[in-house]
Amino acid sequence: MLQITQDLIWTPGWNGVGELATCSVIFGALLNVKCLTFDKLQEMYFIKTKKFLLIGDSEIHVKLGGKNITSKKLNIVEIVKPEAPFDIRVIYRKGANDFLVTFNTSHSQKKYVKELMHEVAYRQEKNENDWMHVNLSSTKLTLLQRKLQPDAMYEIKVRSIPNANYFQGFWSEWSPTFHFRTPEITGRMDPVLLTISILSFFSVALMVILACALWKKRIKPIVWPSLPDHKKTLEQLCKKPKKNLNVSFNPESFLDCQIHKVDGIQARDEAESFLQDTSSQLDESEKRRLGGGMQGPTWPSEHAAITPKAFREDLPFGCLAGSISMCEALVQSSSRSPDCREGGKNGPHVYQGLLLGPGTTNSTVPTPSPFQSGILTLSPTAQGQPVLTSLGSSQEEAYVTMSSFYQNQ
Amino acid sequence: MFHVSFRYIFGIPPLILVLLPVTSSDCDIEGKDGREYQHVLMISINDLDTMIKNRTNCPNNEPKVFKKHACDDNKEGVFLYRAARKLKQFVKVNNSEDFNLHLSRVSQGTLQLLNCTPKEDNKSVKEQRKQKSLCSLGILLQKIKTCWNKILRGSKEH
Repeated sequence: MLQITQDLIWTPGWNGVGELATCSVIFGALLNVKCLTFDKLQEMYFIKTKKFLLIGDSEIHVKLGGKNITSKKLNIVEIVKPEAPFDIRVIYRKGANDFLVTFNTSHSQKKYVKELMHEVAYRQEKNENDWMHVNLSSTKLTLLQRKLQPDAMYEIKVRSIPNANYFQGFWSEWSPTFHFRTPEITGRMDPVLLTISILSFFSVALMVILACALWKKRIKPIVWPSLPDHKKTLEQLCKKPKKNLNVSFNPESFLDCQIHKVDGIQARDEAESFLQDTSSQLDESEKRRLGGGMQGPTWPSEHAAITPKAFREDLPFGCLAGSISMCEALVQSSSRSPDCREGGKNGPHVYQGLLLGPGTTNSTVPTPSPFQSGILTLSPTAQGQPVLTSLGSSQEEAYVTMSSFYQNQ
Repeated sequence: MFHVSFRYIFGIPPLILVLLPVTSSDCDIEGKDGREYQHVLMISINDLDTMIKNRTNCPNNEPKVFKKHACDDNKEGVFLYRAARKLKQFVKVNNSEDFNLHLSRVSQGTLQLLNCTPKEDNKSVKEQRKQKSLCSLGILLQKIKTCWNKILRGSKEH
């Protein structure tokens, strides 16, 4: 093998047993001279000169006792062995969590063999023959911390070879080994990071608990609204005229009220006289109900259809023959309320508005009260008559009420 | 009849001799890929330029050197051959060893890469004495460099 940097060293292939050549000469590819003679140094023959042309082939002749023993033709630029790199260092960069490896080579200052390929080898000290290799053309290398074992001792070395653009050859010797230790991973976290992580954990847990707790009441109606129940919707739609008015489709709420059968409609004359004499105790709801189907001012005149039998006994009927103002006064005299409880008082009024016949009240007849569920057909004549006729003729008709709808269900 | 033969004997051969250079063959260039030039010759040329500039201040007007020869198309090899041989004339004893070695490297390396016909060899020997100043050397080196770049550009295009 021939090594060349600025010098040429000729190493015999037969391990130098016995008397070696007394003269070795190189011909060709030399400047200003035809040949050069090797110098012998122990077991090696070498030439150190600047007179290499570096272009073209050369011949090396080995002579022994003047005789040419062997010769070899070669191109000097193909047997280049670079000088070993040196000054390899490893620096730990905490911010980047990596190790910066730098080294130096004498060939960066040379003229001809400048471009080299480097090989960096590193291993954990306890792992024998487990070298990791990295090839690079520059003199800097970055090793990531996560790819190395924490808190471990490593050793690293580097060697070079010509990059084969023009000069070719062999690997240089390894550089001196450098030892470094990787830092251990600290268990203690950054306090700010720790605080933030704890707070975020608790907030997430709180949100999960709240979501589970408020799911049915708050969240689900918004996300998955239920279809409205028609019975409840209707109850809500009904407006309460008074606080005392008990609006309900549940017949059980009217148990306190006495429900009387309507026997029939008295004669009109009797009703008129009755109306003139007595004054009724009219609620606002009744007035309203009456007014719902008819005009307000005409109300007094239509009182003639009120069953005088129902009202004769107790209620003052001063307003029935008079003006509205009297009626209002009567309405306000709620002290003369019947036995029905306050809340139940409204019930029959509403009831009365809906009654078309006496039949269905049999099931819910309480003790008779002055406030019978008489039929107040106080609608205008044009509207009222069909009702009157139906009342008079169909006693056997079943009551059709909303409660019946409810019960039928 | 006799006088006619004399005309043919003494008239035509000189004519042929004059016309021969037109049909003379060119030198073959071996290092057209540019590896030898970029890694060896160009380094030595640059070093010589640096040394010349450090030693002398050359005037801007170009001295008359190598005016007869130019790196013409298809004549690059001939030009380089002649220029390389001329470089040898600049090797002097009073130059530094490195200077002489670089000169020799450029000259010998160029010649090593050229494969010229013997006709060119004979012709170049007859070149006359030239100026040997450093400034003319610098100009000659620049011409050599330019011609090499032209050769390499041409080879890349092909």
